[in-house]
Amino acid sequence: MPIYLYIDRGTFVHRLHPTVKVFSLFVMFWSVYWVDNPVALLPIGLVMLWIAQLTDSWPNFYRLRWLFAILVFTTTIAWMVFYRRGAVLVNIPVFHVSRLSLVFGLGRGIKLAELLAASVLFLSTTKIEEFTYGLQRMRVPYRVSFAISLSFRLVPLFIDSAVTIVDAQRLRGYDFNQGGPLERVRRYVPVVIPVFMGALRKANNMAMALEARGFGFSHEPTTFIEYPVTPADIMAFAFLIALGALYFMLYWTGLGGIGPVK
Amino acid sequence: MKTDAQIFSVNPGQHAVWVERITFTYHGADRPALRAVSFAQNAGELIGVMGASGAGKSTLAKCLNRIVPEFEDGDFHGAIRIAGEPLEHLRVCDVAPKVGMVFQDFESQLFSTNVAHEVAFAMEQVGMERAEMDRRIMPALEAVGLRGFEHRDPMSLSGGEKQRLAIASVLALRPSVIVLDEPTTDLDPEGRAEVFELIKKLRAQGLSLIVIEHESEELRAADRIMVLREGEIAADGAPAEVFARTELLTACGVRPPGLGHAFELLGIDAQPKSVDQAYEAIVRAYPGVAATPYDSIARSRVSEDPKAAGNAIIDPAFIGIENLSFSYPGGPRVLDSIELKVEAGEFLAIVGQNGSGKTTLAKHIVGLLQPATGRVTIDGKDRAQMRPAETAREVAYVFQNPDHQIFAATVEDEVAFGPRNFGLPADEIRRRCDEALEAVGLQNERQSDPFLLSKGERQRLAVASVLVLRPRMLILDEPTTGLDHREQLRMMALVRDLNRSGIAIVIITHTPWLVAEYARRVVLMRKGAKIFDGSVREFFMQDELLRSSSFRAPEITELSRRFGKLALTTDEFVALVKGRA
Repeated sequence: MPIYLYIDRGTFVHRLHPTVKVFSLFVMFWSVYWVDNPVALLPIGLVMLWIAQLTDSWPNFYRLRWLFAILVFTTTIAWMVFYRRGAVLVNIPVFHVSRLSLVFGLGRGIKLAELLAASVLFLSTTKIEEFTYGLQRMRVPYRVSFAISLSFRLVPLFIDSAVTIVDAQRLRGYDFNQGGPLERVRRYVPVVIPVFMGALRKANNMAMALEARGFGFSHEPTTFIEYPVTPADIMAFAFLIALGALYFMLYWTGLGGIGPVK
Repeated sequence: MKTDAQIFSVNPGQHAVWVERITFTYHGADRPALRAVSFAQNAGELIGVMGASGAGKSTLAKCLNRIVPEFEDGDFHGAIRIAGEPLEHLRVCDVAPKVGMVFQDFESQLFSTNVAHEVAFAMEQVGMERAEMDRRIMPALEAVGLRGFEHRDPMSLSGGEKQRLAIASVLALRPSVIVLDEPTTDLDPEGRAEVFELIKKLRAQGLSLIVIEHESEELRAADRIMVLREGEIAADGAPAEVFARTELLTACGVRPPGLGHAFELLGIDAQPKSVDQAYEAIVRAYPGVAATPYDSIARSRVSEDPKAAGNAIIDPAFIGIENLSFSYPGGPRVLDSIELKVEAGEFLAIVGQNGSGKTTLAKHIVGLLQPATGRVTIDGKDRAQMRPAETAREVAYVFQNPDHQIFAATVEDEVAFGPRNFGLPADEIRRRCDEALEAVGLQNERQSDPFLLSKGERQRLAVASVLVLRPRMLILDEPTTGLDHREQLRMMALVRDLNRSGIAIVIITHTPWLVAEYARRVVLMRKGAKIFDGSVREFFMQDELLRSSSFRAPEITELSRRFGKLALTTDEFVALVKGRA
């Protein structure tokens, strides 16, 4: 199974200029941020589904299906405990089940799922070099942009190593599922320590290898891959501006909210 | 050993590398990692650097591109010049265009998602124009045999290909010196062969190379061998001269080449460079031994003790694998209709190229993976009905990297972790810990911090931490990877003792001499299928099979076959020659 999310396809989204891709991630986050109402979140959700179809990113969504489901479900349930507004529809101890809490909880769940989906789409269609380049073009210093993009590449490696460590400890008779929620978290210490030590060692090896390959020689390294700006980039950019503006308008007009709070 | 005066008898500007009395002590260390090391390398020379772990090999390599002392903190003295230019006051990145460095961990030195871009990475860093990068990429890929791979993701390459790509990426900067620090340690035999073939080619092109390596056979073609011991140069000379000093090599933790050691025991004063040369020299010295051609023994087969060879399996076997097939989700078949039985007390080696399914097979035995079809039984019980923790008391698995399990603050706590998970009483845990630590020779390290142990000690600690559960079988995945010869011998002596005490052993390995000297039965895997299962002697007779699997018999075994016999160890070969002579 591949450990990285990037899916190599030749779609027009894959071919977009890195700056447009980084900007699109920003616009998706921006748009989702301004609205709370599930209905208002629907159009951008549909845009994401359309992009997922276009870019053939479904395998990544399938891999993360449980994470999406858990995000929506637990957030909806959690807000029914903490968001205590509106007329109660059903009496359940601890919970405050009202139209408002349901809509707000569902909205928050969809919001988180859409933030995750935007990230998945970005990583499914953007190479690490494009990420670095895109950030650089947005005036992020080279060292910082390279470190950010490299960290995305490292996370799957650490997950892979954590899986091996979990296996190793299970084979020594360790049961990760004993006790309550806090105890279960505590029981991951035999995994966290080896992962952490391995990460430190890997980071040290990488830093040495990077310097040995000339990293730091120049403050403004040249780029091997050229990213010409095409009409598709301009159209995508215009679409993203319109999308961002639309969502800001939804917020400004109150249409993106969950209605009057009583 | 040469004196400084001999080394520096010419102008430093004439040398590719000029190292003058370098001494380095890591921050917080109580003794120097390097002590007054001096040497000079002529342009186009290939120097092999050998020595035990901790002898200073990697530190020396890091000095050559300023990782020491720029990156690694410590006290540095001495001077280094590359092609006449002093390195002092330069940063690591400034040295990159002069000295290329290839590390052992190939995963940590690849940063791009595309092979061509990986080669361009270093050129981008030094601010090279795009047109120049374009001109350099293809020749670099051509040199390492990766032309046609330009658009591949480096992560999709095999280990050998990744390491060749790392070499291509340093070649593109056209450095005058390339340093390779144990470049083949994590590779399978095919990958090793690829990298050493490339090293030969680069040397023929006139590059100055410094290669750190544990296997002496691989460095026989070098111009010079430098052996380090406790931070000092213990020997420096032509391979024939250095490899003839077997006592010194052994004292330095270096495995002497099998052929040279055999010659010493046979009293032949020569250092053979190849099996062909060795054969001719022995025929001259012992004219009576040149007899039966190998073909005749291949046909007649060697008689074997079937129990020792693992052919006489009592049903039900301790481990039974029936018609086992497996694929990872969405992937091709990783295991294909495997049938295998392992008897209690056996010593089995599973060999095969990377990706052939060895580890996946082992993970099915211990229950980390569930078969798509077929089943695994342990002592007659269906493994699918057992939890991994239950299996652990029958079959223990030692992962390739001991650091994948170590987490405790002391060695004793690390070993006690398993029995505590099974809820054993405190005095029983103490008794078992004593027993396990004694078995692996770590009884005096009880209170030591596991993270401060050497790699060999950590590997033995990993064995102790599963041995403490008193399993009936131990599976060891590449137990000697990254260990020096002394640590390898110690590890394997431990494994042999455990086997003699009745524990069945399964080792997954790429090391031919280890199979020849320790295992009694071999299973060869290829593309998920078991393609050979038999005694070690039978295995090393299968010329075609070995060739097609990129698995080389040890040189001493190859040599013995020229005389119509099959010796697995140097001692066996010497006895054979002397007996027949």
